Amino acid sequence: MISVRNVAMQFRSREGAVQALRGIDLEVRKGEIFVLLGRSGSGKTTLLRCVAGLERPSAGNISLGGRTVFSDGEGIFVPSEDRELGMVFQSYAVWPHMTVFENVALPLTQGKKKFPKTVVKSRVSEALRLVQLEELGGRPAPLLSGGQQQRVALARALAIKPRALLMDEPLSNLDARLREELRFEIRDLVKKIGITVLYVTHDQVEAMGLADRIAIMDHGVILQVGDSQELYHQPASASVAEFFGSMNWLDGRISEVGILETEIGRLLADVARSVGSSVAIGVRPEDVELSVSASGGMNEFEGQVLSRIFLGEYILFQLQIRTQKITAKVRGIAGLQDRMYLRIPKDKIRVFPSRLANLHSAAKETTLPVN
Amino acid sequence: MEMMVLTRMKRGSLFDRRAVLVGISLIPVAALVLLVSVVIWMGFRQTGGVSASYSLDAYRQLFGDAFTYKTLLNTGIFSLVTLAVALLFGVPAAWLVERTDLQPKEIPQTLMILGLLTPSFLSAMGWVFLLNPRIGILNTLITSIPGMEWARINVAAVPWMGVIQGLGLANVAFVMVSPTFRVMNPAFEEAAKVHGLTFFRILRKVTLRLAYPGILAAAIFIFMSAVAAFDIPAVIGLSNRVFTFSTLLYIQVQPLDGLPRYDLAGASAVLMIGISLLFLWWYFHTLKWGHRYAVITGQSYRPRQVELGGWKVWAWVFLGTYFLLGQILPLSVLVWNSLLLYPQVPSLSSLSQVSLANFRALSIPQLLIGARNTFILAVSVPTLTLLFSVALSWVVVRSKLRGRFVFDIFSFLPHAVPHIIFAISAAYVSIFFLRSFLPVYGTIYILLGVYVLVWISFATRNLNTALIQIHRELEEAAAVSGISLFRILWKILLPLLGPALINTWLWVALLAYRELTMASILATTRNLTLPATMWGLWLSGFYPKAAAVATLAVIVMIPLVFLYWFVGRRILAMERIS
Repeated sequence: MISVRNVAMQFRSREGAVQALRGIDLEVRKGEIFVLLGRSGSGKTTLLRCVAGLERPSAGNISLGGRTVFSDGEGIFVPSEDRELGMVFQSYAVWPHMTVFENVALPLTQGKKKFPKTVVKSRVSEALRLVQLEELGGRPAPLLSGGQQQRVALARALAIKPRALLMDEPLSNLDARLREELRFEIRDLVKKIGITVLYVTHDQVEAMGLADRIAIMDHGVILQVGDSQELYHQPASASVAEFFGSMNWLDGRISEVGILETEIGRLLADVARSVGSSVAIGVRPEDVELSVSASGGMNEFEGQVLSRIFLGEYILFQLQIRTQKITAKVRGIAGLQDRMYLRIPKDKIRVFPSRLANLHSAAKETTLPVN
Repeated sequence: MEMMVLTRMKRGSLFDRRAVLVGISLIPVAALVLLVSVVIWMGFRQTGGVSASYSLDAYRQLFGDAFTYKTLLNTGIFSLVTLAVALLFGVPAAWLVERTDLQPKEIPQTLMILGLLTPSFLSAMGWVFLLNPRIGILNTLITSIPGMEWARINVAAVPWMGVIQGLGLANVAFVMVSPTFRVMNPAFEEAAKVHGLTFFRILRKVTLRLAYPGILAAAIFIFMSAVAAFDIPAVIGLSNRVFTFSTLLYIQVQPLDGLPRYDLAGASAVLMIGISLLFLWWYFHTLKWGHRYAVITGQSYRPRQVELGGWKVWAWVFLGTYFLLGQILPLSVLVWNSLLLYPQVPSLSSLSQVSLANFRALSIPQLLIGARNTFILAVSVPTLTLLFSVALSWVVVRSKLRGRFVFDIFSFLPHAVPHIIFAISAAYVSIFFLRSFLPVYGTIYILLGVYVLVWISFATRNLNTALIQIHRELEEAAAVSGISLFRILWKILLPLLGPALINTWLWVALLAYRELTMASILATTRNLTLPATMWGLWLSGFYPKAAAVATLAVIVMIPLVFLYWFVGRRILAMERIS
């Protein structure tokens, strides 16, 4: 549905050229909710705005439902108003000088396609019903709450029956509770309509709650695409693992096949890397098992409890093992001591190329000219 | 393939729509650049006709003449006194209104803003009636006291003209400095207070230090305005042969005897533009520096208000003195003199001579031409100004056009170049070059054109500020939903700019209504305006008659000013709701 091929984008800023997107490839399937997840400055919003036609990429191709809307090779740039999209903005962008009804109706009366009055009326009320605002049609926009403005923006985007719906951090200005509520609502709504959605957020929980598939972006590139489970359990790189959920990191070296030498001691793991290489070892806090007594099993270490925080659903422990601090998320635990035993199941250990090595290769990449 | 052709065409049509806005913006920018270039060219061109020789003679004569240096000195003294008086009244007034518990604040605030609209030639005339060495009311009163002969004040002395100009620009100082005090984070002062500093030390070491960039920016702006000021030096100084640079320019192209010296005017203008540019650079430098003082924070707060206590009386005395000297006294004296055949001190005997004789003696047809022209200008000038300014602001703020900053810089030219220079340039072009095929000289169109050009910078600044505050996503949301650029302008941007548009329209209308500087150069018997009529009478020595025209102008202006004030309050109220 939305196809992005090798899209690059350069900004000119005062400090010089900034590479906002570096060769992005992306395929959003019809009817899918696709989330672009990344920190601020990762290029996710720029990519969305390129799809919307609000920014013009410096290179690449973009097509919507088979129609090329941007191609630097062919010199095509279809302006925003001809792309037949719906978009929900971070600021909602509800026009403040109009009522709710007028906001939703304006694209239908002033847009490229013009509809007769009766159609406009039924389309607007249908859209407002979808977002449960049918009662508020006559209300001036500035008198709406944040959540209501968000719904108006959604209704406005849906009323024109767009080919795809673009959403730019639509929930980030709302409070936590409302955010959660609207997240479910948005997913139900767009699934009911069956519209293709490209959604931008920096919130991992939001992404997991909404998405059919997620692309993780960083520094203008896509690190990995997949569904929530894939990204969580099989992160392709240390960066993805770090971004998607929290992680305990250990530096280590493969001393023998299946054996890692680390700062906390020797770990047994299934590693498919050559002996002698330096690696980064990641263990998720919820995968760490704690007990008051030693079980004598493998990968077991004794640690000093530094802190213990009760967070309702789970308890967060911080333990000191030699020079290293390890965080553990535990559901409930029998007994409590200053020193506890910590066990890391073999299959929960993730091994990546050393982050130090990563840094080196990244540095090489930027300093060495491309052959 | 067909699809591709179609999209290409659409891309073309989008470009066309933007090109319309760029094209509209180009007209005033090109005209401004042309007028400034002509002035520079004028200084090297010897004879006035179409055939001419080029030399540096004008510059040699200008810089070889002691009179030039005397005028420079006069302008310097005049502007410095203006600055001192404007800050003396404007800055404390701003502080009193913004940072103390003085109540009600609306009275000084409203009077200050209305004072901005009072044409300065009115107060200049009033002060001549008060302080003329021979006939001035105050001088008559002072010298009637035995032994006080020495205290006679000569209003035409450069420092006194500066005082009167300063009283007029104190409003500007007030309006420019107020926001600096308003947005000042009280935490800075509270920190000083908690750590044991006394009130006056906090005022000196913290408040004024933080406000310093704001005050300095206002000071530079006021100094520049004083250098360019025409009305007061003209009304007071010209008949006494006391010149500042703007009246020197005037006399060079409208000499009492001999031919106009456009070459000299060109050289003088270049000197003046040079000085202005220097100050303009300093002004922007100061503004940038002001931003570094992070006196503004994101959180909303009301600055702590200083309790005046017993000082409240003195605060009102201070403000009252200002309004008395700046507005009430000169304006009432002006009206008083319009009712007398010759200037007299108010008394029972002079009261019996009050009549409308001056008004009756005015030429009605001439007055009607003036009124009609003034009215046409007061309506058409702000309308055209807004048309150009909306296009310019959009290009500067919203378009991603690569050369847009060029538009921004050139639309700022009228701030840097004194208005009288644009008028002289327009006169020169229309008299010598456009006469045969576009005879605009002596018509209302030349006034219309020049007025629009010089006020575009003011209107564009206003609209830029308003446009920046409108979230870009409001337009992007419309574009994504399939609405084209002109419809976005019409349905989204103009309604949202509404308050700023109305405000700017009214302000420019009032400026056009009271304009004298450019009219004094460009008005002939055919395209007289009300201020130009008054100016003609004043220059010919018919002071009471000129006062009568001025009084009429004030009477017509009062409803306009009230309209402005009323609409301004409505806009404020509207903005508070949304």
